[in-house]
Amino acid sequence: MKLTDRFKYLDRSKLMDPKQRHHLRLIAELAARDYRHDWIMSTCYILALAAVLMPLLVLFGLKFGIISNLLEPIKQDPRYREIVPVGSGNFSNAWFEAMSARSDVVFIIPKTRAIAATMKVRVPDSQVGRIIDVEMIPSAAGDPSMGAELPGPGESDEVILSASAADRLGAQAGTRIEGIVSRTQNDRQETELIPLTVIGVAPAGAFSRNGIFVSIDLLTAVEDYRDGRSASGAGLTTASDADPDRMYAGFRLFADEIDNVETLRAELARQGVDVRTKSADIELVKSLDTNLSIVYWVIALVSVGGFCFSFGASLWANIDRKKGEFSVLRMVGFHTQGIVWFPLLQALFTGVLGWVLAAVAYFVVQVALNAMFMDNLGAGQSVCRLLPGHLLLALLLTLVAAITAAVLGGARVARMEPSSGLRSL
Amino acid sequence: MTEETVFSLRGVSKHYSAGGTEFRLNVPELDIPRGIKLAIIGESGSGKSTLLELLTLLLRPTECESFQFTPVAGNASYDVEGMWRAGAADQLADLRSTHVGYVVQSGGLLPYLSIRDNINLSLKLLQKELGGVAEKLAGMLEIGAQLDKLPSMLSVGQYQRATIARALAHQPVILVADEPTAAVDPINADRILSILTELADEFGVTLLMATHHLGQVKRLGIDSVECEFEIRNGRTMIASIPPLGTGA
Repeated sequence: MKLTDRFKYLDRSKLMDPKQRHHLRLIAELAARDYRHDWIMSTCYILALAAVLMPLLVLFGLKFGIISNLLEPIKQDPRYREIVPVGSGNFSNAWFEAMSARSDVVFIIPKTRAIAATMKVRVPDSQVGRIIDVEMIPSAAGDPSMGAELPGPGESDEVILSASAADRLGAQAGTRIEGIVSRTQNDRQETELIPLTVIGVAPAGAFSRNGIFVSIDLLTAVEDYRDGRSASGAGLTTASDADPDRMYAGFRLFADEIDNVETLRAELARQGVDVRTKSADIELVKSLDTNLSIVYWVIALVSVGGFCFSFGASLWANIDRKKGEFSVLRMVGFHTQGIVWFPLLQALFTGVLGWVLAAVAYFVVQVALNAMFMDNLGAGQSVCRLLPGHLLLALLLTLVAAITAAVLGGARVARMEPSSGLRSL
Repeated sequence: MTEETVFSLRGVSKHYSAGGTEFRLNVPELDIPRGIKLAIIGESGSGKSTLLELLTLLLRPTECESFQFTPVAGNASYDVEGMWRAGAADQLADLRSTHVGYVVQSGGLLPYLSIRDNINLSLKLLQKELGGVAEKLAGMLEIGAQLDKLPSMLSVGQYQRATIARALAHQPVILVADEPTAAVDPINADRILSILTELADEFGVTLLMATHHLGQVKRLGIDSVECEFEIRNGRTMIASIPPLGTGA
């Protein structure tokens, strides 16, 4: 035998590719036909997988549904992003500029002293003539508590009423109202009437009491008037000259998202500003999510691990049962690599079909659970739900588990003496 | 080694142990002439199947001086020993699928394929035209009506005929049959053996057949070689295949 002849069969790469593909196609066909022929065994595998997978999908769906229900309002509701100062302080224009430049601050506006920030309002041409006390809240374009539709007070005579104030006054967008501000100057009661236009009504959640969202110009003008810094009849709705050295008692501040509330709180605390946030509520839901996730993944890991072992063991035993068939494949001339794919492909069939069955069963349970809890849920909410991504992830993990379980069986097929199983037939 | 030799073995042996008993098959010298119909005669356990598995490239010899396989007259010989040593199992599988047909004692069909698909399996593997080969062979083997059935629905005799059809469908150079009639009743056995030899003639294949019925072989008038068999120390069984022409 010449040396070159010996190398002829060592150079595998030349011949292999198209042939190997053909072998693999044929093996896939045979694996599928065997899987169908051996349908009792296959059904058992599929049911066993679905029995493990379906409860895991339901558990995850419940966890995801419940946490979403808790988290969604928090994410939607601007109040969870609001940072409210405790007591009053001294904040300069420079401070406001610095804060509004931060990327985690979505909205910030100065507030005057609470005592000066009230007025009475009435609808002048109404028969009722009801006068109510309202708290003045500074607002501007982009105020998160206004929702997307309301532009915020632009001109100083534009105001937005809180839902309850609008209700009491019988006012709506376009209603002309009158603000009444009084002061005692030199033992004399003075009153200023301010013509205002309601440009909208704030969402119910924005402010629960009687309130009026006004521009910062109007608010500071009212404070100046109350403090006696401006003369009576000066025309409160005209913008006062902005005083660059003016100090404000407070602020309304919103973080851009709930995850940044805690950062902002810490930053303000560092500056010596005491604030109140709903961080605790956010943290509660988040830690609930984390803890539920830990519990879930422990359950999932244990069940999937258990399934891998039992599936792997039965696949291993199945190799013995099919020893003769594998020997026939070798006898006919299939390559080792092709034959190894046989149990792997069958494990993949089980993975995909088990997953399909589990997903179908899951949807039945999901519909039932959501119907059961329908009365306790808001519109668009569900107690149990999964995103398509979750189901795809489940499929991926299932296939990884199935392949892991089948690898030992495949290795066993590969190591099998080609002739073993032929004589015992 | 002449051009007329399909297999040429020198100093080939296979050892294994099972249940505390050492088994050893020695093949000091064996040349299988092309076109021969040869029966290997021997008791059960005398190493017939082991020899056939060595020749079908399924079993790796333990020791081997030289093992040449020349499937096509005048073409290159394959150094089977070298291929085993190089771990070229896939190359051996390719030689087997192209040139060897193997009929085992029983079983040997895939239970999930119809008889037709079982017979066509080697052709499909080799990407050859099916061209009605299965139907033709099934007709000759008198199992034409069974083609669309699953193997489990056939009688033992029909099953064995289907195995023969499967082994011949891809027109191998060499047909190896390991006690093909062991599980069949005597009347069927004679019938199957005579079909087997007729088909071997018709297809021009080299036929190697293991059997322990010398009588059948004599009736068919084919060459035979007898395994020599000895037990040493009650634990070591040694089977030897004598060179052709010195046996029966």
